[in-house]
Amino acid sequence: MRDPGLVAAPSVDPATVRVTFEYLAWATLWLLVGTGLGLTASIKLHWPEFLPFAGLSFGRVRPAHTSLVLLGWSSLVLVGLSLYVASRTSRVPLWSPRLARIALWLWNLALIGGLVTLLAGVNRGPQEYREWVWPLAVVLAAAVLIDGYVAYRTVASRTLPEVYVSNWYILGGFCYLPILYVTSYLPFYQGSIGNTVVQGYYMHNAMGMWFTQLALGVSYYAIPRLLGRPVYSYALGVLGFWTNLLFYPLIGAHHFIFSPVPWWLQSTAILFSVGMMVPVWAGTGNLLLTFKGGSGAVRRSYALPFFVTGLIGYGLSSTQGTIEAFRSANIYWHFTNFTVGHSHATMYGFIAFIIWGAVYGLVPRLTGREPSPLAVGVHFWLALVGILTYVISISVAGILQGFAWVSGQSFIASVIAAEPMWLWRTIGGLLMVSSHVVFAVNVWAMRPQRRIAAEPSPDAVRIPA
Amino acid sequence: MSFGGLHTDHRAIVAAAVIVFSVLTLVMAVLPALREQAVSSPAGVAPREGEAERGRQVYMREGCGFCHTQFVRDLPMDRPYGRPSRPGDYALEDPPMLGTQRTGPDLADVGSRQSSETWHLIHLYDPRAVVPQSVMPAYRWYFVEKDQAGPNDVVVPVPAGIAPRGKVVVAGPDAKALVRYLLSLKQAKVSP
Repeated sequence: MRDPGLVAAPSVDPATVRVTFEYLAWATLWLLVGTGLGLTASIKLHWPEFLPFAGLSFGRVRPAHTSLVLLGWSSLVLVGLSLYVASRTSRVPLWSPRLARIALWLWNLALIGGLVTLLAGVNRGPQEYREWVWPLAVVLAAAVLIDGYVAYRTVASRTLPEVYVSNWYILGGFCYLPILYVTSYLPFYQGSIGNTVVQGYYMHNAMGMWFTQLALGVSYYAIPRLLGRPVYSYALGVLGFWTNLLFYPLIGAHHFIFSPVPWWLQSTAILFSVGMMVPVWAGTGNLLLTFKGGSGAVRRSYALPFFVTGLIGYGLSSTQGTIEAFRSANIYWHFTNFTVGHSHATMYGFIAFIIWGAVYGLVPRLTGREPSPLAVGVHFWLALVGILTYVISISVAGILQGFAWVSGQSFIASVIAAEPMWLWRTIGGLLMVSSHVVFAVNVWAMRPQRRIAAEPSPDAVRIPA
Repeated sequence: MSFGGLHTDHRAIVAAAVIVFSVLTLVMAVLPALREQAVSSPAGVAPREGEAERGRQVYMREGCGFCHTQFVRDLPMDRPYGRPSRPGDYALEDPPMLGTQRTGPDLADVGSRQSSETWHLIHLYDPRAVVPQSVMPAYRWYFVEKDQAGPNDVVVPVPAGIAPRGKVVVAGPDAKALVRYLLSLKQAKVSP
C-alpha cells in the first residue's frame, strides 16, 4: 500500500521551518530548567540540607519540575513537531505560522508565570499537574486552542483527499487536551471526593490523551519517513486511535485504588487498564513491525535508535501501568516510589525518546544542518544509561518501601530502606541532565540557516511498491 | 481500504473525537464527581477557622501534600494512621489532599497521634532534631533566631547544638499556624 502522506512536498516552507524550530528551541530551554529542578529535588532526598532556601524547598521544586517538563518541554516540542507533520502530510505550508508563534509566546508566558508562582509558593495545593493558579491555566488553554486551530486549518487545506493517520492522532490530541484541562479547573463538581475523582481523570488522561496522541502522530510520520517504507498497517494505526479514545478515559481512577472514590469507578478503571493493552500493543507492534527488514537503516541512522528505544519503552511502561492497577499489586506499590519510576519510564523512556528520534530525524532535513553524529551518540547513551539507572533504582526503592510497610515496621524503616536507592536515582538523574546539555548543543548545531533556499526536494522518499 | 467517510473527512474525525471524549468525560468524571459532592455529608467534622485555616494555606504553599497523604486505606499496613478514610472526612476540604506519595507518613489523624505543639515546632525547625533519619526539609524560614526572647514569644526548645550558639529560636506566625493546622487533623469519630 502506498502512503500518500509520505510523498514529499517540493520544498519546506521557510516560515514553517522557523516556527517549528522556535518551538524546539524553547522546549529545550524548558527541558534544561525543568530537569535541573528535578535533579535538585532528587538530591534533597538523600541530602536534606542541600540548598536550604524557601524557594527551592522540596515541596515547591517538585511541582515546578513536573509542570516544566510536562507543559514546557514535552508539550512544546510535540506541538512544534505536530504542526510540522500536519503541514508535511497535508502537502501545504503551515496555515498561519504567525498564529503559531503567538501561541508559542502564550505558552512561554504561562510557563514563566508557572515557574515563578510555584517557587514563590503560590499554588492550588498538591493537585498534581494542575497546581498553577487559574489565570495561568487560562493563558495555557488559549495557547493550546490556537495551536489546535492552526493544525486543523492546515489539515483542512490539504491537497490530497485522505487524512493521513498522523493527523488523526494530532487533531485528536488537540481536541482532548482543552476538554481535559477545562474540566480539571472548573470548580462546580469538585467539592469533597468529587475533586479526587477529577484528579484521577485528569492526571491519567493528560498522559494518554495528549502526550501519547502527539507522540504517536509524529511517529506515524517520522518512522516510515526515515525508513523509506510505508507504515506496517494503516488499519492498526486507526484501530489504535479508536481503542485509545474508548478505553483510556475510563481508567483514571486507578490512581485511587482503596480510596473513598466509588468502588465501581475503581473497578471499571482496573478492567479497562487491561483493555488499554489493545491500543498500546497495536501502536507498539505496528510501528516496530514497520522496522521489519530495516535493521541496516537503524544501524546507519542516529535518529532511529531513539525511536526503537521509545517504542519498547511505550510497550513495557504501559504494561507496567496495567499491572500496577491490580488491587493485589497496588497493595505493595501504591504510595511508594514505584509510581515515580513508572511516570519516568513513560514520560522519558517513551515520550522523550520518541521526541528525540523525531527531532534528530526531521530537523536536519528542514534546516539543512546536522549535529555531529558522535554528539548524538553521546546523548543517546547518557540518556539511556541514565533513565535505566533512574527507573531501576527508584523502583527498587518503591519495593523496599512497600515491604517495610506491609511487614508492619515503623515508618522511618521505609525511609532508611529507600535512602541508598535515592542516591542511585540522583546518579541516574545526573546522567540524564548531562545528556540534555549535549542535546541542547545538538539543537544549536541544527539551527536554521539565516536564509533558507528553496531546495529541490532533498528528502523525497522512494517508496517500495 | 476504506474507513467510511472518516478517512477523507477531517471534520468528521474532529467531531467524533470531541463527542466521544466529552461523553466519556461526563460519565467518568463530571457526573461521578457531582454525585460524590452531593452525598458527602460532613457529619462530625467541624469547619476549620482562623489560625488553623491559615496553617492549611502554609501547608499548601510548602507542598507538604507531595510527600504526606491524608488518606487511610482499609488495609492492615494503614492501621497506625487511623481508621479508613470516608468521603465525609473530606466534605469541608477544598481541595481534599489525599495524595499519591508517602515519602513521609500519613497525616489524616496526626493531631490525635502526636498532639504536642512543642514536638511539632521542633520538628518543623529541624526534623532531624527529633527523627535523626528524617529527610524532611527544615522550615527554618518560619522561625526567628533571637538573642533574647520577648514576653509574648513562643520559644522553641531545640536540643543543644542545633540552634545557633547564644540564640533562642522563636516560632514565627506561620510556624504556629501550621502547627495549629496539623493539630486540627483529627479523624471524626464515626459509629461503625
